[in-house]
Amino acid sequence: MAANPMHQFQVYRLGPEIKLGNIDLSFTNASLFMLISALTICLFLFFGSKQKNIIPGRLQLIAEMFYNFISKMISDTAGSKAKPYFPFIFTLFMFVLLCNMIGMLPYSFTVTSHIIVTLVMALFIFIAVTVIGFLKHGFKYLSIFVPKGVPVVLLPLITIIEIISYLSRPVSLSVRLFANMMAGHTMLKVFGSFVISLGLLGGWLPLTFSVALTGLEILVAFLQAYVFAILTCIYLNDALNLHH
Amino acid sequence: MDQKDFKTRLRIAKKDILKRTSDENDSKRGLFMGSAFRLGTELVAAVVVGTIIGFILDNWFGTKPWFIIAFFFLGVIAGMLNVIRVAKNMQEKK
Repeated sequence: MAANPMHQFQVYRLGPEIKLGNIDLSFTNASLFMLISALTICLFLFFGSKQKNIIPGRLQLIAEMFYNFISKMISDTAGSKAKPYFPFIFTLFMFVLLCNMIGMLPYSFTVTSHIIVTLVMALFIFIAVTVIGFLKHGFKYLSIFVPKGVPVVLLPLITIIEIISYLSRPVSLSVRLFANMMAGHTMLKVFGSFVISLGLLGGWLPLTFSVALTGLEILVAFLQAYVFAILTCIYLNDALNLHH
Repeated sequence: MDQKDFKTRLRIAKKDILKRTSDENDSKRGLFMGSAFRLGTELVAAVVVGTIIGFILDNWFGTKPWFIIAFFFLGVIAGMLNVIRVAKNMQEKK
């Protein structure tokens, strides 16, 4: 049996079909794994912050580590003005991280390997950052499209380029996460099927690759969550501290 | 305290400092890896967005294929600009 490496990305319905007008709101395996990720985060942080010991236990230590990590990242990239947005960025990071990591478990489903999920998150960030920028600076926010020190002749051209660059943010943010997760999981499946088809004699080499790739994928899963969060910080920084 | 004692203590302290800075480098390597992941998609995304804008404008004004061509190249320029910005950012952090 040659398993289709793309089969793992199939979304199917669990339970009854729920329809609201023309919109299909059925509970799918994607919704199930999003729910699992969200519940895992809630349980982990609930038990991690339940006992407030001065000398932290294991769970408390990990929870505090995540807190410090994100807190430091925000203050490094976006400054003190971004502190009110800490809950949002922390939630975003934990959700993407848990979705990626739970996707690494066998027989599970990787939510972030679907572009619709990542695009919705990226578009939400994009729109939120734009709204925050206009709320904080009014129409002066449009000055991010007009860099300083550009000759007047080139100004229209540069402005168009800056607008394209601004609009490409949600695309690059979503495509990066989606492409990395999907490519990684497809590759794991392909190497896995090589092991089966080459059998006991030749299967050892792809098996070694599979083990190495699993390590790489865990690194990528963490790194992509980190990049997603840090880019949100960078975009927030552009909106909060107008200066280029 | 004799000189020999002082020298061994100095050596231990120096080793300690060296170890600490290499630990810092390790955490920075992760940061750079994150930036490296950004570079590729940043270039592609701007080209795609530029081309899509060109396509939409062409459909509006019925001027196929001129806007698509112009905005494709503008997208390429925007992508390169993005990459240069990320790379500059990386160098500043160093």
